Amino acid sequence: MRLPLLTLAWKSLANRGVSVGLTVLSIVLSVVLFLGVEKIRTGVRDSFNSTISDTDLIVGARGGALNLLLYSVFRLGDPTANMGWDSYELIASAPDVEWAVPISLGDSHRGYRVVGTTTDYFRHYRYGRSQPLGFAAGRAFDGVYEVVLGAETARQLDYGLGDEILLSHGVGEVSFAEHSGHEFEIVGILAPTGTPVDRSVHVSLQGLEMVHVGWDTGAPPSAREAHDDADDRALTPDSVTAVLVGVSSPIRVLSLQRQINTYGGEALSAVMPGVALSQLWEVIGAAEIAFKAISLLVVIVGLSGILTALSAGLNERRREMAVLRATGARPRDVFALLILEAASIAAAGALIGIALTQVGFALLTGQVRARYGMDLGGAVGLTELYVLLVVTLAGAALGAWPAWRAQRNALADGLSIRL
Amino acid sequence: MSIPAITLSRLHFAWPGSPPLLQIDRFELGAGERLFLAGASGSGKSTLLGLIAGITPCQDGEITVLGERMDPARPARRDAIRASQLGVIFQLFNLVPYLSPLENVLLPLQFSADRAARLRAFADSPEDEARRLLAVLGLEGDLLHRASTALSVGQQQRVAAARALIGRPGLVIADEPTSALDHDARDAFLSLLTRECEAAGTALLFVSHDRSLAGRFDRMIALDTLNRASVNA
Repeated sequence: MRLPLLTLAWKSLANRGVSVGLTVLSIVLSVVLFLGVEKIRTGVRDSFNSTISDTDLIVGARGGALNLLLYSVFRLGDPTANMGWDSYELIASAPDVEWAVPISLGDSHRGYRVVGTTTDYFRHYRYGRSQPLGFAAGRAFDGVYEVVLGAETARQLDYGLGDEILLSHGVGEVSFAEHSGHEFEIVGILAPTGTPVDRSVHVSLQGLEMVHVGWDTGAPPSAREAHDDADDRALTPDSVTAVLVGVSSPIRVLSLQRQINTYGGEALSAVMPGVALSQLWEVIGAAEIAFKAISLLVVIVGLSGILTALSAGLNERRREMAVLRATGARPRDVFALLILEAASIAAAGALIGIALTQVGFALLTGQVRARYGMDLGGAVGLTELYVLLVVTLAGAALGAWPAWRAQRNALADGLSIRL
Repeated sequence: MSIPAITLSRLHFAWPGSPPLLQIDRFELGAGERLFLAGASGSGKSTLLGLIAGITPCQDGEITVLGERMDPARPARRDAIRASQLGVIFQLFNLVPYLSPLENVLLPLQFSADRAARLRAFADSPEDEARRLLAVLGLEGDLLHRASTALSVGQQQRVAAARALIGRPGLVIADEPTSALDHDARDAFLSLLTRECEAAGTALLFVSHDRSLAGRFDRMIALDTLNRASVNA
């Protein structure tokens, strides 16, 4: 039977079950909060970063890079202006361009944004680690009045193949201007991607053109007018909102970007998704730091319970310290005993907190992935190791004060403690 | 075994801001000798024991414990001598509350490798020796693993005696160890303690105000006669 100081510390803590337990609990909760915030933060970041992949440039009307990225890829905010169809054709035929997918925004279906595009979209759009879009059911649109739904759109609105839907003008949840008379048949439903694609409604540019025939004035046309017009139209759009571009070689991206940005025919902006995303993180960074600071403060508050737990018992333990001294303990053994107690409380709190966070997120991860496309699970990583280390060391550091007091008492008390 | 357990020479001690408490010209406790030191409370006996145990630093004079000078030794050295060569029994609350009686007895071995090594020279294992000592003192069975706080005062004092004696130290210091015990328990405790000290060849410095116990020891000294500070006071 060996009784190293660490064993003494643990037995001492076990002997003071409730008060030590409550201190551990406060550390557990603070660690869970910290790790939870951290996991959600990195989950959101990863999810944003994996929304678009393999697209070298996004081209739209002249404007801010971040704005262009947000409306073209994340379906957030509204485009400031459209770009001409000729510009799209010019880009698509440029020598370095491998593929160019036009997208046209502005309509919606029950709050889900409609993306007018070509079937190239399903072929070239990539997310995550170069993952292509897949069909959970059906196929890509072929006819003018065919539509492909994102996974969440279909699930939330409870649509299946063969159902018919109407598009609405504008992007509000409630629309007063439906494109009535133009029923679109659902021919495909995409597999979940965890990106805004899941919340989109995809139609062909021609289909979008068709429902807008006669809307040149900005107001709904009369039914007769619309149909008459449609028949003799070529159904080629005048403009699109943005173009996603794949470039044949990475080294050509910069020069192509410069060419587009300086194109004289129309004021265009070409942005690299990665660059625009890093701008986004600069904006969000401050809020992230605030979150981190708050959860860090909570950890500090949780740890400060160690001071209370150890200081409170110090006077009652003078006798115990004198006994330890009498049996041969050096003052620094007394000091070390209290430090080890403090560190053990902190380490126990951190370990339980890490375990609870892992279990909690493991239970939640399926739901969160289905709903938000974020991956919050994941094995214990460097962050957890770091938290365990820092919390334990911080606990030990906090223990220094009561430990120093205990050591000083032990030196002053000598062999004679009066109780 | 001719080295005396304790030698004091021209020892002077005063707590800061207080008049001299101890002035002892000469005192010796022979190897294996059992001495009754009579002293009322407040006579400086606890301070004297603290000085001998090396917990209270010596201000003036010489203290030699089992051949080692305590007075010039650094605190760490005094702690090491105490851990290896001393056993201490208090009047009350001798046990570390969160350790079992058996663990309490083993505790000194944890702080001194010397003591543990010495024990292994004559015993199979520390645990066997602890159980043997406890059994000799009448403590056996599941009592050894119970909470120390659940023991009676008499049982606690016997555990403390076993702890003081583990590893056969050269000197056991007992500070009023029987004053919390009733008459029968006191007699039994004294018999066991003196017998085990004799068996281990351990010197015993037994301090008490109750002179009726003095007959059980080799020799008795009153602290008053030893300490010139109390005469002058």
